[in-house]
Amino acid sequence: MSVLLNVQDVTMHFGGVHALTDVSFEVQDGEFLCLIGPNGAGKTTMLKAIVGAISPQEARILLDGREISGLPTHRRIGLGLALTHQIVRPFRSMTLTDNVALAVGHRRIRRVWTALAGLDRDKERAEALKLLEMVGIHNHADQEVTGQPLGVLKRLEVARALALKPRLLLLDEPLAGLNHVEATRLADTIVRINQEGLTIVMIEHNLGEVLRVGHRLVVLDNGRKIAEGLPRDVMQMPNVRAAYVGKEANDAAA
Amino acid sequence: MSPVFRAACERLTMLYFELLIQGLIYGSMYAIIAVGLTLVYGLLRILHVAHAGLFALGGYMGLLITNSTGSLILGMPLAAAIVGVVGMAIYRLCYQPILDQPPYVALIASIGLFIAMEEMFRLIFGPFGLTYTNAPLQSVVQFAGIYLRAVDLAIVVGSLSLLGALSWLSQKTRIGLAWRATVDDPQIAESFGISVLNVRYLNFFIGSALAAVAGVFISLLSNLVEPTMGGVPSYKALAIIVLGGLGNVAGTLIASLVLGVVEAFGTIYIGDILDRDAIAFAFLIIVLMIRPEGLFARR
Amino acid sequence: MGIYELSLATVVGINIILAVGLNLITGFCGQISLGHAAFYGIGAYTAALMAKAGMPGPVNLAAAMAMAGAVGVVVGMTSLRVREDFLAITTMGVGFLFLGIVRQQESLLGGELGISSIPTFGVGKMGFFVLVLVLAALSVAFSLYIKRSWMGFAFEAVADDEDTARVISVDVPAYKLAAFALGTALAGLAGGLYCYFARFIVPDDFGFITSISVLSMVAVGGIGSVYGVIVGTALLTLIPEFFRFISDYKLLVYGALLFGVMRFAPDGLAGLTRLAFRRIQRKGGAV
Repeated sequence: MSVLLNVQDVTMHFGGVHALTDVSFEVQDGEFLCLIGPNGAGKTTMLKAIVGAISPQEARILLDGREISGLPTHRRIGLGLALTHQIVRPFRSMTLTDNVALAVGHRRIRRVWTALAGLDRDKERAEALKLLEMVGIHNHADQEVTGQPLGVLKRLEVARALALKPRLLLLDEPLAGLNHVEATRLADTIVRINQEGLTIVMIEHNLGEVLRVGHRLVVLDNGRKIAEGLPRDVMQMPNVRAAYVGKEANDAAA
Repeated sequence: MSPVFRAACERLTMLYFELLIQGLIYGSMYAIIAVGLTLVYGLLRILHVAHAGLFALGGYMGLLITNSTGSLILGMPLAAAIVGVVGMAIYRLCYQPILDQPPYVALIASIGLFIAMEEMFRLIFGPFGLTYTNAPLQSVVQFAGIYLRAVDLAIVVGSLSLLGALSWLSQKTRIGLAWRATVDDPQIAESFGISVLNVRYLNFFIGSALAAVAGVFISLLSNLVEPTMGGVPSYKALAIIVLGGLGNVAGTLIASLVLGVVEAFGTIYIGDILDRDAIAFAFLIIVLMIRPEGLFARR
Repeated sequence: MGIYELSLATVVGINIILAVGLNLITGFCGQISLGHAAFYGIGAYTAALMAKAGMPGPVNLAAAMAMAGAVGVVVGMTSLRVREDFLAITTMGVGFLFLGIVRQQESLLGGELGISSIPTFGVGKMGFFVLVLVLAALSVAFSLYIKRSWMGFAFEAVADDEDTARVISVDVPAYKLAAFALGTALAGLAGGLYCYFARFIVPDDFGFITSISVLSMVAVGGIGSVYGVIVGTALLTLIPEFFRFISDYKLLVYGALLFGVMRFAPDGLAGLTRLAFRRIQRKGGAV
């Protein structure tokens, strides 16, 4: 397997807060990598740095050997990244279908003036409907985004990211806010997509699902990478148990 | 150094000093207008253009009360109190119902309100403006070699002490603490038992009262109140709050003074190319190109 | 049609081009502009100067569009640098800057006195009205086309949520610049037409109040809705004329209307129409 994403020495601080300190890891082509760690460990910041939604003070990020750290977000997405937000960010003025259809047609809007040439949206809408069906929310397809329950919007995020036909999908807690049945079903869908060849990096708190679906784990704590490896090995490491499980226990106790 | 050259130097220094003083007079007046806008922006993220109407209303009230009672000591605080209450009413009746709308809604509503207010002044008080029957604070004093009117000094001293008082209020009192908490996060403030509504009322009262004081000041400066007096100073105040880093009171004060001075010098040196108002906005645009977050951004 | 009606209709046509242009920037792409009149003015002054130099009308109109559009792109670049609220103030500043420059340029631009005795377009009053009508129709058609195109789809995304738009690969800066270029070019065209219509222009024709009037037309009609904007423009242009007995209260009514619409119907006439339509449909369904 070849390295698809190479993250080297990412350091990011907001004012005095060190969100990430010298974090490096690699993602193999076809891999399902889970990024875990307690709240505030810097996981979301890491994904945002990868797509360029924020600019770290230091970072070298290579996608398939190509340096992308200096590129604006839309260029990185154009090269095959896709991101879902932990806190949902749908286009509130559009229907669910159109939210996804716009992403399906991302090639048509890449250049402003050629975007003027096309009118027909039927093909993209049909494709969008398939994606909505894949994540199980096609019943809501023609409804407005406003007023939809969180579970629907979380899955809309995933459908919209898939619509970009990415090479690497970055998922930020896609299962949070779903009930058990929905979560298992979406996790299964994500696993299937991964088996079909899509590389995935997922942040997830649900450790049961992480152990079930992840090929490999990277653990962050206080903005530093404290461990990486196979799920079972990593979960046995004392420092991971101390940082991650310990904090969970503290949280549970509080 | 030849005496001629030295005399020229002295004259130039004198000119610079006068321009500086003139800049500070305008700047401190801009500051008390702009602080009201900054307070509203900091709290509600609304660009409160109708603030300009309150400024003009302050001028009218101050002049009318002073003319009828013969006392500015009575006129100015009463004008401030009346305009403060009108400001609270504007919040309640105009802004509160549309807080959930996209920002342009409140902005356009505010512009509409401002136009309507200007027209009401024109219809009620006439298009040509009013003057003081016995303009106060016009005596001339000599200060460090230049001649100033009492009103010039009153503006600088009055504005700076009002702003000082405001800063004390926000830093050292419980009310100020509640205000700062509400600016940071209204929901958390609410959960600590702070009445966000009362903070907003207070905010509009203080901001509007300060605008009224500024209105009275400018009416004393030119011995005139007219329907359109609010426009230009208030547009500049909008520019100032952007320069000062929106919602930042200290930044607003410094930006006001800087703008006053830039205008004073600009009118002398590039007045042929741009008029006074254009200089202010050219400065704004140049600064924003270099520092998009304003001069004193608080991130 | 008498001369009076003809000139009113011509003004409505010019204002429609102006408002449709602003709707492109503010309605489609979500970038608020309080300085649209400056581009209107740039178009008017460009066409006026060229006309006085003896250049033919169509060339001058094209130049007015190009000039306003080019300056529009430069101003659009500021929109890339500053965030939304700043943009409103920055564009307002551009408006004042334009006025300030024009007022001080007495030799070239006539200063406060403006430019007078601009030659006619040379097609007669009726012919000119037809020209304005055709150009207004073209602008409307173009704008409807954009809205339905993928460009319009992407504009919608930028207006809705810039950050999310980036994440689905929308080149946000390019789209904003495109909106500014197109919208301000239309303002330039309207300005060119206005200078031939009035044959006498002064700086105050293109001041802050004009910017606000155009924004009002868009807002009262319904921001983003092309048909709404046409109706809003026609209404706000004609109401003061039909109610001339209230001419002294014209601006008061204007301000109150602007405030009232935003306060009680922020989606404008288009929003009200949609609401009414839905009610009727619902009633029909119930029966």
